[in-house]
Amino acid sequence: MNLYQKRKVPFELFDVNILKANDARLLEISQTMGLALNLNEMKTIKDYFSKLGRNPTDVELQTLGQTWSEHCYHKTFKGTIVTEKGKIESLFKTYIAKVTKELNLSWCISVFEDNAGIIEFDNGYGIAVKVETHNHPSAIEPFGGAATGVGGVIRDVLGVWADPIACMDVLGFGPLDYDYERLPPGVKHPKYIFRGVVAGIGCYGNNMGIPTVNGAIYFDESYTGNVIVYCGCVGLLPLDKFAKNVKPTNIIVLAGGKTGRDGIHGVTFASAELSEKSEEVSRPAVQIANPIEEEKLKRVLIKIRDCGLGSGVTDLGGGGLSSAVGEMAHRFGLGAIVELDKVPLKYSGLAPWEIYISESQERMLLAVSEKNLRQVLAIFAEEDVEATAIGKFTENHQLKLTYQGVKVAQLDIDFMFQPPKIEKKAKHKKPTLSEPSFPEPKNLTTPLQKILSSPNVASKEQVIRTYDHEVKGNTTLKPLQSQHAGPNDAAVIKPLDNSWKGLVISCGMTPAYGKIDSYWMAASAIDEAVRNNIAVGGRRIALLDNFTWGNPEKPERLGALVEACRACYEVAKGLETPFISGKDSLYNESPLGPVTPTLLITAVGIIPDVRKTVSMELKTAGDPVYILGQTGKELGGSEYYRLLGFIGKTVPKVKTNLAKRTFEALTGTIDSGLVRACHDISEGGLAVAAAEMAFSSDFGLELCLKDVPRTNDVGRNDFVLFSESNSRFLVEVSKQHRRRFEELMKNCNYAQIGIVTDDPFLKIYGLNEEKLVSAELAALRKRWQSGLGGA
Amino acid sequence: MKFNVKIEVMLKPGHSDPEGETTARALRELNYPIESVSVSKVYMVVLEAGSKAEAEKMADGMCRRLLANPTKDDYRFEIRETR
Amino acid sequence: MKKDEVRVCILRVGGTNCDAETKRAFSDLGVNAEIVHFNQLLKKRNLFDYHGLVFPGGFSYGDYVRAGVIWAKSVAAKIGADLEKFVEKERPILGICNGFQVLIEAGLLPAFDGVSEYPEAALAPNIPPGYNCRWVYLKRENNGKCVFTRNMPKNRVIKIPVAHSEGRFLFPKEKENEYLKRLCDNDQVVFQYCHSDGTLAVGEYPANPNGAFNDIAGICNPQGTVFGLMPHPERAFYGWQLPDWTKKGTVPAFGDGKLIFESVVEYITKKF
Repeated sequence: MNLYQKRKVPFELFDVNILKANDARLLEISQTMGLALNLNEMKTIKDYFSKLGRNPTDVELQTLGQTWSEHCYHKTFKGTIVTEKGKIESLFKTYIAKVTKELNLSWCISVFEDNAGIIEFDNGYGIAVKVETHNHPSAIEPFGGAATGVGGVIRDVLGVWADPIACMDVLGFGPLDYDYERLPPGVKHPKYIFRGVVAGIGCYGNNMGIPTVNGAIYFDESYTGNVIVYCGCVGLLPLDKFAKNVKPTNIIVLAGGKTGRDGIHGVTFASAELSEKSEEVSRPAVQIANPIEEEKLKRVLIKIRDCGLGSGVTDLGGGGLSSAVGEMAHRFGLGAIVELDKVPLKYSGLAPWEIYISESQERMLLAVSEKNLRQVLAIFAEEDVEATAIGKFTENHQLKLTYQGVKVAQLDIDFMFQPPKIEKKAKHKKPTLSEPSFPEPKNLTTPLQKILSSPNVASKEQVIRTYDHEVKGNTTLKPLQSQHAGPNDAAVIKPLDNSWKGLVISCGMTPAYGKIDSYWMAASAIDEAVRNNIAVGGRRIALLDNFTWGNPEKPERLGALVEACRACYEVAKGLETPFISGKDSLYNESPLGPVTPTLLITAVGIIPDVRKTVSMELKTAGDPVYILGQTGKELGGSEYYRLLGFIGKTVPKVKTNLAKRTFEALTGTIDSGLVRACHDISEGGLAVAAAEMAFSSDFGLELCLKDVPRTNDVGRNDFVLFSESNSRFLVEVSKQHRRRFEELMKNCNYAQIGIVTDDPFLKIYGLNEEKLVSAELAALRKRWQSGLGGA
Repeated sequence: MKFNVKIEVMLKPGHSDPEGETTARALRELNYPIESVSVSKVYMVVLEAGSKAEAEKMADGMCRRLLANPTKDDYRFEIRETR
Repeated sequence: MKKDEVRVCILRVGGTNCDAETKRAFSDLGVNAEIVHFNQLLKKRNLFDYHGLVFPGGFSYGDYVRAGVIWAKSVAAKIGADLEKFVEKERPILGICNGFQVLIEAGLLPAFDGVSEYPEAALAPNIPPGYNCRWVYLKRENNGKCVFTRNMPKNRVIKIPVAHSEGRFLFPKEKENEYLKRLCDNDQVVFQYCHSDGTLAVGEYPANPNGAFNDIAGICNPQGTVFGLMPHPERAFYGWQLPDWTKKGTVPAFGDGKLIFESVVEYITKKF
């Protein structure tokens, strides 16, 4: 039986004979055409076309393949999950969106429904935020993958009419000293990937003139085969210009770059039945980035927005035109007609289906009323950006595609957006781990030095300097603090010329705990993101979740995901920090194994007056230094254990009520101007936070552990110094305000544990006031700065 | 007549080549016995000209006016007639 | 003329991306600053409507071939004669970062004998290589000819950020000394990279962030009215833009970058 019947037209168009296909053939079609649809989905499509009494075209099948893909439809998060404890209908609704819904905060303007989440800012302006994953493309081609990741997330922000004002990038790589001999074929060396990804991110943000202000870099064995590239973008928009009211007869305008075969993955028609097509040029999965094109596109979109000439906008990302057109029609309850031969091409010879699903970069889709069309096209022309009317929206709920006058697809929009629900099994299995037992080392200076130069703690200055974090001239708290380039906990932007209100951007990611317990991994990531934000003066915090996970078809992986989502609900609810947007990347598995369960939490807060921002370096000799929060014996997954070759079992937990009390009290003291410096306590614990605060300044620090608030099980100096318990801060308070500070902190765990000195040393005394650490700051700083080597 | 012009723009001797040095370092890390790397830029130009001599003159002009900065760059080109 | 009569044109093309903050700096001083697309200038505007011209930072035309060169050649081809007249009339031109690269490639700087057909200097890839975003110190070297530094005493040290990958100022090797002498004799060296105490960087990284010949960060033409520099004064205009303001307890109102804008605005108001 011939599955593919070439239509007698002067271009490539096939009818696919699914009506007569049995189950095996259905799966064969899905595989040959690269649809990635399972049997149930293929049968649903067969039923649909049986009712229509005809076979689908290749264009129709490809459209459905894109619309129903994990990437576009998030089947795992929206599907049913069967656990030992019962069924979960949609992880997304049950845990993530539920936080936002229950908190019901008036400043959350648009959540989860658009390209980016939107929250209120100031003076009628809103803030749009989006974070994307671009792991798979970056594994294939690090430079291009990372660059197009940044380009893509910037378009997401443009897709809600917002002007991009800052980028954030969080990356994960395998160890840079990974043994070349151990690399399986097809896996690139972490150093190669690292260099390419960093260069790609810098290239896009710098060229577009958007400052890259926040981020993080983690190294983990499991990232060797599964590089992690999270690209985030924040935008600013006048809320009254947020036009999303697409109507029938509105023209569909495609703008920006031309369309080529970029990003059409692994699809090949070179099968026996299609021997005449086997000479087909290879379809590059790698996308080429052109930031200057996007910069121009941005200028035009902002102008069209300000002139109120558009009725809708969306970006072209995964799924290309098929997703953009389909989703816009679906959202406004419309249909659409697109003439695919109108789409400007990079080169001739693209089949209609290729045009429709191509993921060529730097393209946006606009809906424009007939009367505004001429003016809109003129604005594009002024800026040297190509824009073409390719179709229009219609009253009926039908998607109709034509090519050279021939109808190549006609689908019910409602059918397109009701894929069969997926049911997956999840099994929660805790790894069998144990707590290590070892004597307390006499010398704690050496472990501190080693942790400071370990890749996850060491300075990322050499990377951060390759990103322009100053362009636009609005970065008031920079990623690198002052002359010693100290690691600030968050970035602060002052986006409006006539307002002192600032935007506070921070992140949290704790993959080391993901190996032990995905619930507390997720909880810790949220706590870290929030406390980083609080530390500089942020509040009213919104969160974004970005999961990087292994194959969800494997019940244990999915079980761990369910746990992480449950933590997202419980901790974010407890801290009253709503989720406003998110994105997942699943199926991160390589010949070296699955990725460590990783959740990036991005936190976006505000500070009423940027002049109250607190940076992390010590400021004045003689000031008291306080620790806030409680230290527990929670060293599982800690840098200290890692240094000693252990994983451990007990990871840091989050007590949301205590955490919230500490956060609120600290915000109060910052607002009252009592706090001179503040640093969150995270990887490497109290010791690393103290060292960083000191060597980023020109002052010394003397600490004594005796009074550190701690649980009863913490009886050792090394545990107090290196525990990574959550919700803790180290705070320098100006001497004259000591009493007021303590007054405001009285309902929290806190203690004065040290004093800022004029002596350029870090000195730490133990639980019995014995000397534990004495190190010259310049030496510690040097250790910290050289951690990544000459990478 | 149509000509294929291959123009190469390279650093003048005596100028530092940070890109070449970085590349050399990266290649050495991959265990190649690299002595040095120098980087030049190649432009493949297709142009219409009355004769080869005219094409040469044009190529020279392109280098002087845009593709090379005489402060630091040398250039050379090869011209081949094509159909 | 009065400040509110001054008109400054901030030019842009695709890839220019520091136009808004540059405009903000001029506007804050009470002059009329307008961002004008190069296409618009060619079609609808007259260069001589403006008293000052700025080539702002960015990546004009993607910085392909060499940073700034494509825009420079396009400027020379389309408005070259007007620009020469603009310079002759001693109307000031400022090039920041990519704008400096444009001025060098267009022969508007150093312009020893007037605008040169071919560039007499280059802004080559940094040593150490790669993009570098950091705050540096500059020493004002100019003896008074440059109209962009007249509100700044000689030897004044200013703090200002750089962000570029092609900023290494250099002359042709064989003419290095000759050109340097001319630059100094003509009082064309405006800023040199230095340490916080004002001692020159002498090529030492990171005080000299790009390996520039003779620590040169910015130069002007022999008349002192065309000025280009790699650092970004518009990013050091307000106190809250400074990297260490949180140290001080209170935010200073302005940064050192303001002095450059103030100087040229004062020059325009007095001259025209």
